[in-house]
This record gives sequence, structure tokens and C-alpha cells, in this order.
Amino acid sequence: MDAIIQLIHVSKWYDRRAALSDVTIEIEKGDFVLLMGPSGAGKSTLLRMLIGEEQPDEGQVFVHGRNVTKLKQSEIPYLRRKVGSVFQDFRLLSKKSVFDNVALPLVVQGASEKDIRRKVTEALRAVGVDHKKDQSPNSLSAGEQQRVCIARAIVNGPVVLLADEPTGNLDPERTGEIIELFKLINARGTTVIVATHDPYVMKQINRRAVTLVQGVLMPDGRLAERVEV
Amino acid sequence: MRRLLYIVREAWANMRTNRTTTIVAILTTAFTLACVGIFLLLYVNLRNAAGWLQEDVKIMVYLEDAVHPARRQALEQELKSDRMVFGVLFISKEQALGEFRAQFPAESHLLEGLGENPLPASFVVTLAPNYRSPQSMKGWAERVQMMEGVAKVDYNQDWINVLAELIGYIELAAIGVGMLLSAASVTIIGNTIRLALFTRREEIEILRSVGATRTFIRIPYFLEGAVLGAFGSALSLGILKIGFELFRQQMQLAGRFSGIEGLLSFFPFSLCIALVVAGTGLGLAGSVVSLLRVGEGRA
Repeated sequence: MDAIIQLIHVSKWYDRRAALSDVTIEIEKGDFVLLMGPSGAGKSTLLRMLIGEEQPDEGQVFVHGRNVTKLKQSEIPYLRRKVGSVFQDFRLLSKKSVFDNVALPLVVQGASEKDIRRKVTEALRAVGVDHKKDQSPNSLSAGEQQRVCIARAIVNGPVVLLADEPTGNLDPERTGEIIELFKLINARGTTVIVATHDPYVMKQINRRAVTLVQGVLMPDGRLAERVEV
Repeated sequence: MRRLLYIVREAWANMRTNRTTTIVAILTTAFTLACVGIFLLLYVNLRNAAGWLQEDVKIMVYLEDAVHPARRQALEQELKSDRMVFGVLFISKEQALGEFRAQFPAESHLLEGLGENPLPASFVVTLAPNYRSPQSMKGWAERVQMMEGVAKVDYNQDWINVLAELIGYIELAAIGVGMLLSAASVTIIGNTIRLALFTRREEIEILRSVGATRTFIRIPYFLEGAVLGAFGSALSLGILKIGFELFRQQMQLAGRFSGIEGLLSFFPFSLCIALVVAGTGLGLAGSVVSLLRVGEGRA
């Protein structure tokens, strides 16, 4: 098996409260994993650890063969270039156009003008908002803004895509569209991890589900099986 | 290319977003640096004045009344062949009396009563440019004083010493005030950058999440600090120039100091450039201090 993400006996405490408690998990390349659990279960903490934004108090985290806990500060940006992130609040720059927002990961890497134009156009087309490339994100609907956020996350071809409550601000119809988009991205070979506590999303995705409850990892399985059980 | 454009655009956007703070920072920096500039201007002009005075200093070698003409001629030859001497002019007793009468016609009757001409013959000596420092002049005067036939060697040593001392104090004051006010400029610009960091914290967060390095995030803020410093120092030079010209005009109008205004000079172009570069450096230092103290967020 080819694990792209590994957490080995990872624990994290905030003021003596365990956000993650002895979590060991392995995610293979090309997997689509649902990270479930109620608010405060430790889902966001786990995702933040995968991009080096949090460090565990115990244990080790490996992403794409690199030990994140041992990375130097200066190496973390390079890890983040391989891991795309999608947020519940989209985090788009309102003063920049949709095109410029999506181009941002390529700009920070110093990609050529030609590459930027080609890749941004492809990413916007993939999420279906290429016709809005010159608009400000503020003029878009919530669903469209989340598509732009996804385009930005995939524009430089990440090996892993992390989404933290990506449908938290969307209605059921838009939620369904975004889920389909994630499935499509996963079908192209990108490992996708979606953290959610939305039961609608859980029902829509019949993939491997990992559940956290108060920082403790529950035995995982396919959601459909769990629902049936 | 787009990366460079992005950095420049971000720096410009920072300044535009916090327009009022930016303007206040530039103005405060300009006035702060102008205060330093006043001392610097005073220092530069006093140094120039000291230079002119030094150039103009003549050493009077008074001869004993009883000196034999042959000894006087030998002395003149001796002085002329001295490598430290640039020029020697002999002034006889009669010439000295004539000059005194010409310079002080009202007081010339004072000498009438004495009968004999009391003024000594003398050599007016100009030292070579390389030997016009107070130390060189003092050494030379002491040496000549010992020569046979020489009654006294006189020059404006006190004047030169006072001026040198004054320049020393002004230099010290300029350094002290300069350091203090430069620190103030660094703090002002540092605070502006800190505000810019605070205003744009969400954007910085986004940049970090897409893999921007610390350097990439920080460069626009360094650039902003440098630009603030450069504008502030350029403006301070403008303020100083206007102030300087007004002062010179006043001197001219006052009449009492007529002639002095022609001797006053503003900073040479090279020093103006150096001051703008120094201002840029102070601005950059403000950004560095700010980014080191508060950082641009967690990496």
C-alpha cells in the first residue's frame, strides 16, 4: 500500500483538554476520506497538522513521505504547495479578481505568465466558473465562491486536497454540486480529505469515513456500512 | 515577472489602504529628519567656514628692531626655502606704519606722540595648504619663534581653536540628535508597518495557506518601509531647502550680515542622495523591527 498521509500516535492538548488523543491513521494515495465528528472533535486540528500549521504534542505526522513534525519553518511553505486547502469561509481576496485569486498559489511559486494563464483557465473551467474570471469574488454566490476556492486549491496540481467544512455555508443543492466536484477531483488522482459534521454530506459520499469524538479516533469504515449498522 | 508585479502592487496597496497613516508617517519622518538636517546643515557650513578661515590664516613673524639687514635677508631666504611655507611678504616698519594709518585714520595721532615708529618690521607668511592645520601651524610658529632676529610669531590661533571646538560640539550634537530622531523615525515607520500587517492579516493568512514563503510575504512590507523612508527624507530635504533659502534671504535683507549669505551653502547633491539613501535605510529598519517584533503571523 502507498500511504500518502500517516499519523502515528498523535496527541494534542489545549489547556489540558485533549484535541487529539493518540490518533493513528493511514490514508492511501488516491483515497477519498470523510473526516467526521461533531464540532470540537479535533477535525480541524488534524487538518491543520497536515499543513504544518499545528504541531502535535506527541506522535508524528507524515505527508507525501515527509515528516511534518521534523520540517523546518522554511520548509513548510513547500509542503503547503503540495496540499491544497478549501475552507468553509472561502478565504478569497475581495480586492482581487477571481482569476488573480486562483493564480495566487502559482504567483507565490514564481510560475511563468504563460503557465499561470493556462493553469488558472483550466482550474476555473474544471470547477465551472471560467466565465466569471474577471469578476470580484464578492459579486459571486456562496456556491460560486466555494468553487473559486476549490480552483485555487487545485490550480498547482496538489497531491492532497483538504477541505474543512467546505459546505458549511451552502444550501443542499450547492452542497451536492461541491461534493460532485470533490469526487471528480479525486477521480483524477488527487487524495481528498473532507472534514464535516453535516449529515447531508455524509449521506452523499459513500467513501471511507473516519470519525473523531473528543479527539479520539473511532474504528473507521465505509459510511454506507456504518449507516446500515 | 508577475511575482515582482505582485510584490510592488501589494506594497502600493498597503500604502493606499492605510492612506492617512502613510501620509502621517511620511510627514512625521520628514519633520524628524529635517531636525537632524538642521544640525547637519549647521555643521557643513561651519566646517566650510573653518576651511575658509584656515585658508586665509596669515602668520605674522615680527622682527626685532635691532635686527641687521643681512640677518633679515637671511631670515627671508630661510623662510622662503621652508617646504611648509607657501608665500612670504616683507613689511618694513614704514610700511607697517603706513598700513596702520590707512586702516585706522582716526587713531593715527596716537603714534605721533611717540616720536619714533613703534611698529616692528615683519614677514607675513602663508603656509602651504597641507600645513594649515592648527597643529602644523603651532609647530611651525614655535620653531620660527626660536630663530635669531625674530621677536614674536603671531596668528589667530585662539580663533581657530574656538571654531574647531564649536565644530566638535555641533558634530556631537548632530550625532546625538541624529541618533535619537533616527530612532524616532524607525519607530514611526515601524508602527505604520505594524498597522499594515494588522489590516492585512487575513490576506497574509491566505498567502501562507497557499505556500508563500516568509520572504515573499515580507518583501512588500520591507518595500513599503523603504518607500516611506525615502519619501520622508526627500520631503525633509525639500523643507530644509525652503528654510535655508528663506534664511539666506533674511540675512540679505538684514544688511548687517551682507556678504555672509553668499558664503552659506546647502548640501551638495551627493550628500542629498546620501540622505535619501539613509532615509530609505531607516524606513527599511522600521519594517525589519516591526516584522521581527510582531512577525507576519505563524509560519
